[in-house]
Amino acid sequence: MISLLRNKNEEGSFTTKGEGPSLLGLGLSLPPLLIVLVFVGLPIFIGLTFSLGFTTGPNRVIAIIGQQIHKKNHWWGTFGAYNDVIHDSRFLGDLSLTIVVTVLSTTLVLLLALSIGLYQRLIGGRKAAVLVTLSIVPLFVPVVISAWAIHTFYSGDGFMRTLFSHMGINFPTLTSTPSAIVIGTVWTSLPFAILMISSGLQAIPDALIESAKDCGASAFRIVVNILIPLAKTPIIIAASFTSIGILGSFTIPFFLGPNQPTMLGVEISNFFGSYNRPQQSLVMAFIVFAIASGIAVAYVRSNIKSARESDRL
Amino acid sequence: MEEFMFKKSMRKPLALFAAVSLSAIGLTVPASHAASQTIQVYISADTNIQDLWVKTLVPAFKLAYPGYDVNVTFDLHGDHDAQETAKITAAAVLHKDPGVDLIDGGFTTTLGAAGLLYRPTPGLIPNIKDLNKTVLAAGKGGIPYRASSVLLAYNSTNVPTPPATLDDLLAWIKAHPGKFTYNAPNGGGSGYSFVQTVVDKYLSDADRKTLVAQAAPDLESKWAEGLETLRQLNKYTYGQNGTYPANNAETLKDLATGLVDMGTVWSDQFSSALKAGTMPANIKVTAIKNPSLTGGASYLGIPNSSINKVGARLLANWVLSPAAQNLIVGGTLNGFPVIPLNKLDPVVTAAFKGVDILNLRAGYLSANANDLKSKWASTVPGK
Repeated sequence: MISLLRNKNEEGSFTTKGEGPSLLGLGLSLPPLLIVLVFVGLPIFIGLTFSLGFTTGPNRVIAIIGQQIHKKNHWWGTFGAYNDVIHDSRFLGDLSLTIVVTVLSTTLVLLLALSIGLYQRLIGGRKAAVLVTLSIVPLFVPVVISAWAIHTFYSGDGFMRTLFSHMGINFPTLTSTPSAIVIGTVWTSLPFAILMISSGLQAIPDALIESAKDCGASAFRIVVNILIPLAKTPIIIAASFTSIGILGSFTIPFFLGPNQPTMLGVEISNFFGSYNRPQQSLVMAFIVFAIASGIAVAYVRSNIKSARESDRL
Repeated sequence: MEEFMFKKSMRKPLALFAAVSLSAIGLTVPASHAASQTIQVYISADTNIQDLWVKTLVPAFKLAYPGYDVNVTFDLHGDHDAQETAKITAAAVLHKDPGVDLIDGGFTTTLGAAGLLYRPTPGLIPNIKDLNKTVLAAGKGGIPYRASSVLLAYNSTNVPTPPATLDDLLAWIKAHPGKFTYNAPNGGGSGYSFVQTVVDKYLSDADRKTLVAQAAPDLESKWAEGLETLRQLNKYTYGQNGTYPANNAETLKDLATGLVDMGTVWSDQFSSALKAGTMPANIKVTAIKNPSLTGGASYLGIPNSSINKVGARLLANWVLSPAAQNLIVGGTLNGFPVIPLNKLDPVVTAAFKGVDILNLRAGYLSANANDLKSKWASTVPGK
């Protein structure tokens, strides 16, 4: 969109074509922006006002039905619902579990995706191709099915326990534990990360790796100083999308995790549906939104940096 | 410039074509909701109720009244109860069509309490006179059409004599670690019933009645003793780590696969599973006392703002007829009827324990039930 508005001339300074920003450019990019503003931005704003206690207008009906609703007592609203959530005994446990699972799963996903991607890039061959294809299979399995399959696999009478009991080993029941959540989220997030990272690594020209080898660089050096820095953008994309997805996830922690503490996605659903506390569930949603925005800012900054480096900006 | 203007010779046929197609569209726009012919039914429950309506009741109703069509919308486990309640409330406030004529779901009593349901009268729904008056009044506009109760299921091979009272059950659980389970109350009614029953053990009769009839936040501090008892059971229930199955189906599965020897189950889900062969024959059910596990009627509701009240009343009346009640008891649901047993098919009621619906202990009003679910989640699992 920015390039539609301005043109960079030969000397590298920015000049505009004609008398100002191109009206055509603005007009073409306005409809999608408007749609995002109206269908995403406006509901978020209305939700924010409801979480602060504005119970009239679009929030009238939900305020009639919900329980423990705090109405505003200042011009800017009230922090009643925010206080409820922060002082709720479940919240801190849920928040820590959510952050720990997100960080751990994203790290594991990146490590696995990098290993498989690097194996394919540096060694290649049929085995690597088969490995990459297998790791993309979870993309085609609906998340509910995979969650239930993993549950059956690791439950009290599941495959793992049955197999190990024949060898006389008492394998632990992993369902209803945070470990099962990590297994589930890694399984479902791996395909996207592998697709991004392996294609990023494939795009690095052979010549760079050859010349590094000629200079005597070890495989470790090549990976750390050449491959990973050049594939930085797809790695950051994979990291941001994976972590934002895991942050708000519901199905995997619902099926595989403990009742409490649970991840915030499940807790938001509990508060909105089972406990009929829509205002408090909205507060938790905004907290997840704030964390996800932090990740998004890191993503956008890396995008701008790489755009500057490749002279697109 | 000329390329952008239609040639003069083309203008007239184009205008004619446009006029003809517009009028054709006008003619084919369907008349808004042929009001008397389609009845919109909204069901918020577990899959056995969906099967009851879709496979049993609706086909039988269409046979009895061929001029009518019934359109069933199903919401599993009441995930969207809050949204549907909001939609119906908004429709009532704005005097618009709520899109539903008959509701079968836990939130009908909430709508009734808010005055949004059509109040049934024997004049327009004659079969109402066969219903128990107390149960009908408790619906606040809702029409009870079936009942069920939560019972204690036990593996008769491993448990020759099941506990008879709640105290006996609690003692059994502690004596047999890892052999009992109940699902998390926000996931299914069978687990919720166990939680409410343990909590009720420490409440007076008057307090229990208040919690059933009206919102009572000041009585909620009295739940502490019951919740502490439940918390202490954490090391004795299945898994022995304070984790509980997510919903009704998981408890039934744990019983059927032998992971647990006892669990709380819905009477109708249990009977259906036995009939279908997914529950082994050595698993039996019993009722406990002091206090007994809860049960009660399920209510149908006709929103005041429904645009097809005639059809909805006809369907509701038919559901209360002996023909339909026989299907509810004898069919795959194995529910309890709401009309006197002497009106039903004797073959169907012979296999039936004859639980007196008047004596079923009711669950709390939804506002109190929601608070109990929330308090359980913050004080029991994982602690």
